[in-house]
Amino acid sequence: MRVTDMMTYSNAMASSGRARDNVDAASEETSSGLRLVHPGDDPGAAGQVVAHSLSKSRLTAIVSGATAAGDELRTADGALQTVNNAIQRAQELAVQMSNDTLNAAGRSAGAAEIGNLLQEVVSVMNTKQGNRYLFGGNLDDKPPFDPSGAYSGDAGVRRIEVAPGVTQAVSIRADIAIKGVGGGVDVLATMQKLQTALQANDTSGVQGTIDALSKSNDQVSLARTGAGVSMNALDATVAAGTIARDGETKQISHLQDADVVDSTTKLALAQHALEASLSASAQSFKFSLMDFIK
Amino acid sequence: MADLFSILSQASWSLGTQRDAAATASQNIANASTPGYARQEANIESLPGVQYGPAFIGQGATLASVTQIRDRFIESQIPGATGAQASSTAQSDALSSVSALDPSAASGLSSSLAAIYAGLRGLSAAPGDAALRGQAVSSAQALASSFKSTVSQLQSARSGLDSQVQGNLAEVNQLAQSLAAFNGQIRAARASGAQPNDLLDARLRVRDRLVELTGGTPLDDQGGDTQLTLAGGATLVSGNRAATLSTQPDPSNEGHAQLVLKGLDGSPAKALRSGAVGGAIGGALAARDGALATSEAGVDQLAFNFAAQVNAVHQSGYALDGTTGHALFDAGATAAGAASRLTVTAAVLANPSLFAAASSAATVPGDGANLLALIGTEDAAMASGSSAGAALSTLTAQFGSAAQSAKAMSAQDSALRSHLDTLRESASGVSIDEETVKLTQAQRAFEAVSKVVSTADGMLQSLFAIT
Repeated sequence: MRVTDMMTYSNAMASSGRARDNVDAASEETSSGLRLVHPGDDPGAAGQVVAHSLSKSRLTAIVSGATAAGDELRTADGALQTVNNAIQRAQELAVQMSNDTLNAAGRSAGAAEIGNLLQEVVSVMNTKQGNRYLFGGNLDDKPPFDPSGAYSGDAGVRRIEVAPGVTQAVSIRADIAIKGVGGGVDVLATMQKLQTALQANDTSGVQGTIDALSKSNDQVSLARTGAGVSMNALDATVAAGTIARDGETKQISHLQDADVVDSTTKLALAQHALEASLSASAQSFKFSLMDFIK
Repeated sequence: MADLFSILSQASWSLGTQRDAAATASQNIANASTPGYARQEANIESLPGVQYGPAFIGQGATLASVTQIRDRFIESQIPGATGAQASSTAQSDALSSVSALDPSAASGLSSSLAAIYAGLRGLSAAPGDAALRGQAVSSAQALASSFKSTVSQLQSARSGLDSQVQGNLAEVNQLAQSLAAFNGQIRAARASGAQPNDLLDARLRVRDRLVELTGGTPLDDQGGDTQLTLAGGATLVSGNRAATLSTQPDPSNEGHAQLVLKGLDGSPAKALRSGAVGGAIGGALAARDGALATSEAGVDQLAFNFAAQVNAVHQSGYALDGTTGHALFDAGATAAGAASRLTVTAAVLANPSLFAAASSAATVPGDGANLLALIGTEDAAMASGSSAGAALSTLTAQFGSAAQSAKAMSAQDSALRSHLDTLRESASGVSIDEETVKLTQAQRAFEAVSKVVSTADGMLQSLFAIT
């Protein structure tokens, strides 16, 4: 093939241009750490990045939702524990006060203590998290229990998403745990009955509440067991969600991040190629008949 | 018998011939780096001999012609390769400059779509909470803005290509005029018996640039004119006349520029169908009406389907005030233009308590059943048959593969073009070494002929000395 000067020069230009282009691309990849910027860089991966990002964001939201719901359940459980303690104290008092050796004044003092316990129970059952009353069911914008122990909440159970398409109950039904809906015992009414009997110095009335108080205690404990199961499930959700989210993060990184070793190797290679191309071009410019003719 | 004076006159003729050879080499050297220049060769012939008695004695050398060295086979392939390369490069450049669908762009569609569902999930922690409601509604509005900005980036890329094409057309019309003018000048020069090599080169350069812009097919006709026919069959240049290209808004294509050709014969201007012009102009139009238009329509369709899907669920839910039937999004009545119209309805935007999280009027504010149904739309198929995330994923991958294949095509076409250029250069390019040799050859011949003159002169001197 006949090689002309223009060929030599335009070859030098094209090859050093290409080599510079490669160096530029490699240094861009090395400095940004991304190998996928434009969808055209890797169309399949670009589509997958979208899917994985959505999934990652969903898992992040699920994990934070489940964490918050778990915290809320722990608060609710704490409230119910206070109720448990109050019932147990009421049980003690009922047993103690049903003893004939005590007089009316002693029972009246007991009635006053029960009154305090009742107030405590009503106040913890009106526990608020953020702007929500935890035990009001769906009607969570106002205190569910009034001082007389009447319940104004409903039977709603709050559910949150714990996995794509799977929801879980994350609230305790106070109408069942405290008010005994569905064949249980009305905890507050039982305590009120005890208070009334104590005030009236009615030993048999006091004795009559002991059984109901024991049932109340079981009923609240049962609700707490349910909450415990939910908390465990939420903890499991948080753990599984975190692992899955980290998995998605890893996937996205696999798809769009540059491998540092690979990209620095590419950069070094591209720099060598540019150097070689420049030196070859310089060499090819050297020889001309012009230099030999006097 | 040759006389001494005829040797002198023949030598002076031959000196001129060697000067011409040197001038040709010098012209070649001067144009060594002129694009499109074909090296010229001085064809020197021996003058026919004159009979002196029984013998013929030559009369020296003369310049018969100066011809261009061209490889017609390779040159005939260059226009096609040039047009294809210009087209695929224009297309690739247009697509790779659009970043609207970059998968990791902040506030891009994918992150906004993720954000709206994160907002809904956040609200499910306390469906009655005013701050969380406000956040959910503003994440919905952010998604609407993201749809708007994505589609407007695609639209402005498309109108940018309109202006690029209009800029190119001005150059095309000017080049077509000069190609027609060169045809006239070359014909005139040939009529007077000359071989207008430099005009031919200039015409070739104009032709190559025209082909690069329009992808037209050049044809050298028998009269020596270069005709240029566009891919759609319309003639752009014939003889010394040129047609004119312009644009008009195309109502069936959102008012984007459509090419119009005013023919050579003065017939009324006629709209050209798409694909009638190739080259850089055709490539820009192909990107505009191909991958970019598809993506724009896809984003519109996605916005429309997504709004319909979310609205259907939202309308069946109940707001904090116990009312129902509120739409969350307003995307208009048709898919076309839906992305740029998409917004959260004014009522909900102004009053986030209208966000319908509950499944009945009796269960507000704590009920999040409808909210869970809204969250469930993330995986549910829209009217198009796939979920919004999957549709966006497909859209991104489709645009990506269009950009990738345009880039690959451009690389391939450029390689072919540069290969042909190298072959053409190998045949027609100037080698300075070669020309230096020729120049030296002419110089030596000139010196030798000068020697002949001084020898003949010496012989004459000797004759004169006798007398």
